[in-house]
Amino acid sequence: MELTDADLIARVLADDDQHAFGELVRRHQSSVRGLLRQLTRTDLALADDLAQEAFLRAYKNIRSFRGEARFSTWLYRIAYNCFREDARRRKELVGVDEEQWQAEQDPQTIDPGLRHDLMHALSLLPLNERTAVVLCCQNGLSHDEAARVLDIPLGTVKTNVLRGREKLKRTLAAWAPN
Amino acid sequence: MIDDETLDRQLRETVPYIDDDGFTARVMASLPAARPESRWLRAVILLGLALIGSGVACLIGAGQVVREGIIELATFPIWLLLAFAFGCGLVVGAFAVIFAIRKTPEVRDLTRLEF
Repeated sequence: MELTDADLIARVLADDDQHAFGELVRRHQSSVRGLLRQLTRTDLALADDLAQEAFLRAYKNIRSFRGEARFSTWLYRIAYNCFREDARRRKELVGVDEEQWQAEQDPQTIDPGLRHDLMHALSLLPLNERTAVVLCCQNGLSHDEAARVLDIPLGTVKTNVLRGREKLKRTLAAWAPN
Repeated sequence: MIDDETLDRQLRETVPYIDDDGFTARVMASLPAARPESRWLRAVILLGLALIGSGVACLIGAGQVVREGIIELATFPIWLLLAFAFGCGLVVGAFAVIFAIRKTPEVRDLTRLEF
């Protein structure tokens, strides 16, 4: 029987069960690291450092998780806060390592040319639009959940998603091969 | 220009699964040590309670009562003593099982199984 996230969290809370927390990390590491790679423009080392920091914070503050949102949403929020604090400290974001990014894509599911264009177009979006598009369109969060993660009004999330989508469509239309 | 649905589908399909590749192990290594069991506190509490109980027993002359009780028990029929011992064993066993279930997550999760 596969334990749910709630079961694992209960174990961490009741017995300080680090193995249960390890299982939570294993389950969510890909999505959290993926989100941070998008936010840091695929700087893998920085994204992984931030993801590690995010999971560490999640462990230390797991008692504050009240189960009102999905655990993944709560993790995204922590990860986004880690990213924001780091960006504030650095005052700059590092460039794109697209070769390494592409190596991790599944070559069976999508045309490589289109994937390349899409990833590039996504990386060109302003941070607020990119974040909203990644959360809502790529990771399947609702607008409401994304608003909670980003701590911004719901209307702003909708606007950012809409603008981001339009820009992506324009960019992809221009780059589309004949 | 591509439509929203196609764009969303393509965006979802570009989400890679990132292999763990030692990430979880690094996170686990960075976690603070698990809370140490407060066994010393339990030991102090138990010892304190035992001392207080002994003191109270001495004060009220419980030694005499216990001695008389044992002499009284010796006069009971053997089957009654066996039944008493069996009952005590059941009660202690029941408490042990409850304690074990509460302390063992694997067993606790089994109790949530639905058939």
